[in-house]
Amino acid sequence: MKARAGAYVLLGIYAVVSLYPFVWMVSGAFKSKEDVFADTSLVPDSPTLDTFTKTWTELDFPLYFLNSVVVTGATVLGVLVVYSLAAYGFGVLDFPGRKAIYGMFISLLFVPGITVLLPVVLLQQELGILGTHLGIVLPFVNGTAPLSILLLTNAFRAVPASLRESARCDGASEPRTFFSVYLPVCKPALITIALLTAVPTWNEYVLSRVSLNDESTYTLPLGLQSLTAMTSPEYNVIMAASLIIVLPVVVLFLLLQRYFVNGLAGAVKG
Amino acid sequence: MAGLTVAEPVTGRDAPRASRPVRRRRHSLRASLTGYAFILPAAVLFAVMGVYTVGYGLLLSFARWNGFTKNWLWVGFDNYLDILYRDDALAPLVQDAAVNTALVMVGVPVLSVLVGLPVALALNRIRFLRATMRTVFFLPFVTTGIAVFYAWTYVLAPGGSLNAVLGAFGLGSLQQPQGFLGNPATALPTLIAVTAWSAIPVAILLYLAALQSLDPAILDAARVDGASNWRVTTSVVWPLLRPTTAAVVLLGLRDALQGFQAFLIMTGGGPGGTTNVLGLQAYKWAFFSDLRPTLGLASALGWVLFVAAVLLAAVNLRMLRSRT
Repeated sequence: MKARAGAYVLLGIYAVVSLYPFVWMVSGAFKSKEDVFADTSLVPDSPTLDTFTKTWTELDFPLYFLNSVVVTGATVLGVLVVYSLAAYGFGVLDFPGRKAIYGMFISLLFVPGITVLLPVVLLQQELGILGTHLGIVLPFVNGTAPLSILLLTNAFRAVPASLRESARCDGASEPRTFFSVYLPVCKPALITIALLTAVPTWNEYVLSRVSLNDESTYTLPLGLQSLTAMTSPEYNVIMAASLIIVLPVVVLFLLLQRYFVNGLAGAVKG
Repeated sequence: MAGLTVAEPVTGRDAPRASRPVRRRRHSLRASLTGYAFILPAAVLFAVMGVYTVGYGLLLSFARWNGFTKNWLWVGFDNYLDILYRDDALAPLVQDAAVNTALVMVGVPVLSVLVGLPVALALNRIRFLRATMRTVFFLPFVTTGIAVFYAWTYVLAPGGSLNAVLGAFGLGSLQQPQGFLGNPATALPTLIAVTAWSAIPVAILLYLAALQSLDPAILDAARVDGASNWRVTTSVVWPLLRPTTAAVVLLGLRDALQGFQAFLIMTGGGPGGTTNVLGLQAYKWAFFSDLRPTLGLASALGWVLFVAAVLLAAVNLRMLRSRT
């Protein structure tokens, strides 16, 4: 009994630590410019929606939001199409060099992002896609290759071979078997990959910052960053903008939590 | 790709036996081609975005270039030697950043284990609120990025809430009038804590999963022998969790070695270079050096980080193997 009370105390403390910046983010977003540092209470003395509405309407946040949705959506779609096909090849089909090629993809896990960051930008320049959304979507998709291939290959391998055999006996072609048998069965793994791709892409800043240079192409993180580059950054506006970035992720996470959890456990085991 | 296989004749049970060997050979060629077709998009993307950029980066690390002139100046291993020890201006910069990176690489894994394991043990002990707590603990992981780093910057500022809360609890001596990120003595520890804060959720998750898969019979046996809860945890559970600890440590090391986003956003390496880390230094050389020819240096530093990452992975793999 005493041990259990101790457990709750520890969990309570860590819950506070976990939530600390979020609650202050919300608090700051509802304070005025004058109050954001002057009023040190968590619940604002004079809460205002002005900061939020001003951030959304006067700054270009609807545009940034749309850009983020486009970039994230395109990346997720690309990852699902390219790597479910590849994982079917690696996990179900057989061809010479299969293991070697698979290993090559997985070895990409060890290449730190910073090592290839500069060449990626130079490549974008050569291909004429520097500053475009396509220019960042392609490296984003490729960046997920090791994890996506690993998880999806394992998921496809776990599908009983008898399912495939009976589909093939019924005259289904290989693409048909892939679409009508494997994709539906592996839906949970596909959702997991979609989430594990969408969230980091939504939050991505480092590559976007050095690729996108026209404000009309900015994603939310860049929009947020440009706020702080002003002469006197207003923290209430910065917190409102931060909240706009974080909220969709939190909602997505609350709705689809189990896919995150399963996916991460699978990723580390794999 | 579709055309290849749609045209394929039905090679089912009905196929005449006599023609089987021939068909099989044809089929296996066809099967191989089908296999290649399935991995083709991934391979093309990999060739362009992966192999090409890796090759390009490797070449660039042996050259001097500012990104604007037409030709590279080949300098052999000069970039590597300069940043590692030879150049009086560059080497100290890299060495200081390496020391900071090393501190992060110690701090983040240690905090991940020291916080992650007790929290997972506590979570494993309770039923009421367990799912809610797990959700709360996981939020820092899914939201990690620029928005959360700005929230921390706000909280840690001179007039921010952490100073106010410390004052309200009578802990005024712990307050930082310059802000936790403005004081050279507290900036790096603060950033280590923020990085750990983002990494701990995964540690909790992995430990919790491992705890739930432990065989209860083993724990019961220890208790029957009269072992206290503490004793069971330290002598039975902890050794059984070693593979999980190895995974948590490796992930923490990787985050610490490669991640620099919090550093870029919260301090930019300041004050006075006290929070400069290797990844951040490479980023600055790659993109924020104006016309100075530092792109080769950035590449060389990137490859030094790559070698470190591979060594870490190899050591970790060996550790995992020797223990299981």
